[in-house]
Amino acid sequence: MIACLLIPGFELRAALRSRPGVELKPAALAPVPGTEPLLGPVTAAAEAAGVRAQMRLGEALASCPELVLVDPDPAEVEREWEGVLRRLEDVGLAVEPVDPGVVVFETKGVERLYGGVAEALQRALAAVGTAWDPRAGAAGRRFAALAAASVARPGQILIVEGKEEREFLAPLPLSLLPLHPERYAELEGLGVRKLGELAALPGGAVAERLGPDGRRAWALSRGGERRRVRGRAPAVELAEALSFPEAVANELTLRRAFGALLDRLLARPDRGGRPFRKLAVAARLVSGGSWRRTVTLREATAERARLRAALGPKLAELPAPIVELRLEAVELADHTGTQLALVEPRGQELGGRLREGLRQVRASTGSGSVCAVVEVAPWSRIPEARSLVVPRDE
Amino acid sequence: MTNDVHPRARRSVGRLNAPRPALVEMHVDGSPQLVNRQRVTFVREEWRVVDRWWTEEPVNRHYFEVVLESGENACVYRDADAACWFTQRA
Repeated sequence: MIACLLIPGFELRAALRSRPGVELKPAALAPVPGTEPLLGPVTAAAEAAGVRAQMRLGEALASCPELVLVDPDPAEVEREWEGVLRRLEDVGLAVEPVDPGVVVFETKGVERLYGGVAEALQRALAAVGTAWDPRAGAAGRRFAALAAASVARPGQILIVEGKEEREFLAPLPLSLLPLHPERYAELEGLGVRKLGELAALPGGAVAERLGPDGRRAWALSRGGERRRVRGRAPAVELAEALSFPEAVANELTLRRAFGALLDRLLARPDRGGRPFRKLAVAARLVSGGSWRRTVTLREATAERARLRAALGPKLAELPAPIVELRLEAVELADHTGTQLALVEPRGQELGGRLREGLRQVRASTGSGSVCAVVEVAPWSRIPEARSLVVPRDE
Repeated sequence: MTNDVHPRARRSVGRLNAPRPALVEMHVDGSPQLVNRQRVTFVREEWRVVDRWWTEEPVNRHYFEVVLESGENACVYRDADAACWFTQRA
């Protein structure tokens, strides 16, 4: 069977981990700056006060003036989600993350180990922990498993047998389908409010009226396609971070700090010489939130100049001054041979000699003995805030 | 996907030019007379730095760039909040 483990409002829950006590107040995830002012997930207290997810900010504040807006914290969400996935993998599940808060996995491989589907799901819920209020569903198809998890209560397991899937899905609301809000309104206008009502319509007519999205929604309302779950490849643990003594927004400083982080990441011995396939740049904003961008390289590489060219421009997208910059290797490629250059670029030989000299110094004095000075705020009136000393283990 | 930063990453990042405590005796007007037991022959420049007053770690320093009797240049400051003297390359 395919199982789905669901943690509703995961982004908000993760952002609230650093703000204990707020989860008991009316709180909502603030809209991302520059996007439509719609709220993200909300707490139970906010729901009781009439605030709903995807509600307009002005409307929400008018109905609940004491609403606490929590800044999105994508870096924390990523970190916490990775922790959840690892705990699930530790109990033997090959997980396929869908979104933060939604993960699917096959129970086939662990049913005999734990004594059945329900026992395996119980184990998965225990691994995640009660603090996250996870719930689980299992069915023969992905969408049915997701729907089962969506209607389950916190800590509950809902298993839908194959022949009962259509009956189980029929009374559920359309909001479970991945549709644009306008499509919901259109369907409601046509008197279609339940999955069963949509499933009863002819597929061709739905496609003609609602287009490809509607056709897909119609297929899902009938249970969806039978697609296997593909467990993710194990994640790597390579990250380097640099904290600034004061908030930094200057692009030159950010690029210098990024260069230092890149040098340190490239020098990590646990990389084992493998090139990077996917990297992420993350930052902690001075206002308390965080920012994160992921880049997948078309060709895996460990060349400093190429990595700088691919990731450097992302720094211009930072929405506010930052107090910490972080560089993470999300995925490494297998080690492959690279084509050597016929003519070495200018300065290559000198660079090589310098590296060799530093390597010898490190070999005789130990790791961390060779450092580079990174200017972080050269204009500062406080002398010790102008530069940082960063280890250079390249 | 990451996890915790390598322990070395946080541990060994340091500040350059951090202030060091200095032994200073001063005149009645507040200017330094002796710096680390050496007499000050000449005060070349003095200035104030008042910054970060909006944070929990405000900076209120009175800097003096002095020439000592050995001919050495030194830069010292008096932290107004801690009432202590420090030496630092400005």
